[in-house]
Amino acid sequence: MKDIARQQMSMKVESMDMLNAQIQMEGRASASYLAMASWCDQRGYTRSAEFLYRQSAEEREHMMKIFKFVNDCGGNALSPEIKNIEHDFTSLEEIFETALAQEIEVTRSINNIIAFARKNNDFGVENFLQWFVSEQLEEEKNMRDILDLFELMGSEGVALKLIDERIPVE
Amino acid sequence: MFPMERIHSSQYYTFFQSKTEKCFYIDFGQKVVGFRFCELLSLRQKIWAINIETHFDGANIHGFEILSLCNKEHFFILNTLEVLDLKDLLSGAFYILGIGTQDSVLATKA
Ligand SMILES: [Fe+2]
Repeated sequence: MKDIARQQMSMKVESMDMLNAQIQMEGRASASYLAMASWCDQRGYTRSAEFLYRQSAEEREHMMKIFKFVNDCGGNALSPEIKNIEHDFTSLEEIFETALAQEIEVTRSINNIIAFARKNNDFGVENFLQWFVSEQLEEEKNMRDILDLFELMGSEGVALKLIDERIPVE
Repeated sequence: MFPMERIHSSQYYTFFQSKTEKCFYIDFGQKVVGFRFCELLSLRQKIWAINIETHFDGANIHGFEILSLCNKEHFFILNTLEVLDLKDLLSGAFYILGIGTQDSVLATKA
């Protein structure tokens, strides 16, 4: 039995690679939300800013959750290098469109890892990622709800102020 | 020498494990290097992080990669073929050790 390595690590190395890429993606999402929060904060969209600061913190939590999981399974979690964050946006609406697009990318990436884990009988990884599946549905819904506000109220002038007042903050 | 079990060989390198010491060895030809499991993972990540295309598109004209292993205890300079061969070795070894998938073994052969 060639089992020393298996005793040290309870997932497939390729799953670890994909989770490390996911750590990078969550870290990038966190940094990206921070840039969006800054844009809103400077323009007086205070509730949008608050919402985005919280999103940024949540993405970091996601990152840490995966980070810990990789190390707990005996893998080697890599601290992400994050560069080239977009800070320029043309409108508040563009911010939330970008946010939704980003969430959809994350969902796709999570699904991709789950499909891989399932194919390779890496059930611990699949099971761990189930939480992220529900989380992503929630995140996409939140962004869609906000984009609906633009649909309803318009995306110019006083509508922006009214939309900002309706951005959900805890 | 330690009771080592040969796990896998590629064209240039051979991978061993020692159950008594709970560690791994790679015979690089000019020297044999011992690895704890986490050092082995780190070696694999370094090799996988190499963008081999730079060896062909002019960005890395000499096609050499400098590799520091085991928390900077060892340094290696590898050429293009050696990098690819080491990838091959590790894919095969991880698969045989039960923590790699066949997909990546096939991918490095392709
Ligand atoms: Fe996330």
